[in-house]
Amino acid sequence: MKLLLAEDTTDLNRVVTVMLEHAGFDVDSVVDGEEALTHILQNGYDGVILDIMMPKMDGLSVLTQMREKNIIVPVLLLTAKAEVDDRVAGLDAGADDYLPKPFAMKELLARVKAMTRRRTKYSTDYLTFADFSLNADTLALESENSVRLSLREFELLQIFVLNPEKELSTEFLLEHIWSAEPEADADTVWLYINYLRRKLTSIASAAGIPGERGGTYRLCREA
Amino acid sequence: MESIYGEHRAELEEVMRRLLAYIEKVRGEMEETSGMDPVEHCLGRIKSEESMREKCRRKGLPESEESALSLIHDAIGIRVVCAFLDDVYAIRDYLSKLPHCETVEEKDYIRHAKPNGYRSYHMILRVDGKWYAEIQLRTISQDTWAALEHHLNYKKEINGNKDLIVKELKRCAEELASTDVSMQTIRDMMNQGHDTL
Repeated sequence: MKLLLAEDTTDLNRVVTVMLEHAGFDVDSVVDGEEALTHILQNGYDGVILDIMMPKMDGLSVLTQMREKNIIVPVLLLTAKAEVDDRVAGLDAGADDYLPKPFAMKELLARVKAMTRRRTKYSTDYLTFADFSLNADTLALESENSVRLSLREFELLQIFVLNPEKELSTEFLLEHIWSAEPEADADTVWLYINYLRRKLTSIASAAGIPGERGGTYRLCREA
Repeated sequence: MESIYGEHRAELEEVMRRLLAYIEKVRGEMEETSGMDPVEHCLGRIKSEESMREKCRRKGLPESEESALSLIHDAIGIRVVCAFLDDVYAIRDYLSKLPHCETVEEKDYIRHAKPNGYRSYHMILRVDGKWYAEIQLRTISQDTWAALEHHLNYKKEINGNKDLIVKELKRCAEELASTDVSMQTIRDMMNQGHDTL
């Protein structure tokens, strides 16, 4: 499990890092918000611990910016401010949990463990990519026209929107979308990719999902 | 009262029959090559006296032969209901190339659906340089939807929340549109055979 710790108080940063590493986590530690955001955009993490008060960029801004980019990794906020409004602001901005300072090390560890074992994903009910939007409440795929997707089609397109412009293999898609259907195979994926391609065309979107049967597929802005 | 079509009703009927015969011909040809009749059903009608007079009044035109035959373009109306989306466009391509017929107007409400969810392909043809005919091409799903939507507009008393009904009808149009695309994709895969599936 890989964690990012962003905490500007050097002593606290070091103590927490050592404690988490001792508990078996792989930890990247940084001391300001800008550095934290750079790391989050570049690397994949299983959890992020963000101090709210940090130089260059505060923890809430880091959180808001990563959520805007559909980065769904769980976030624990560390807050010296114990005001209700601050805690609410943090959770509203997309944090999964918060811990007021000062805190006991064993509580921090317990919360990090709880957060990283959570299987349910952070998700937004409204995703956009290029010229189309995808609504999780209604399963509507919308650009100039709109169509309603089936649940499987929605899940497949969602995983592409959450991984924009990335090559996703047939195996990866089978594992993430069709895990409950052992009979699904490369042909199933290929058929659903073709559904999505034609549905993007039917709503007059320019986006496309190039790729060959059995290979990798990528969501791109122009077909 | 004299007919709004003057002495021309028989000619309108003759033009309609010609157009219907062309459509029958292409159905036969396409079934020959692909093994599948592209058209589910096809209907033609001459707009009734009352509807035509009402349309003249609505558009602020005199109730005259000129209005009915030249200014209004749906004295002859033909609806072609196809099984699949691609068939709609195949029939459209065929109609646009008919001898003695020119396409004077086209509206693709399938590609650009109306805000209420209506989807159909509309063409106005001018036959022999003077007779106008409106052709509506759509899929079975689109036709089913239009039938219910028509009922909503003409039913005086609607039971229930009208805004909700309009919104739900639009949702149905979007689900049907999605299914039309899925069915077309499945047919394409079957036709492509072993190369793909």
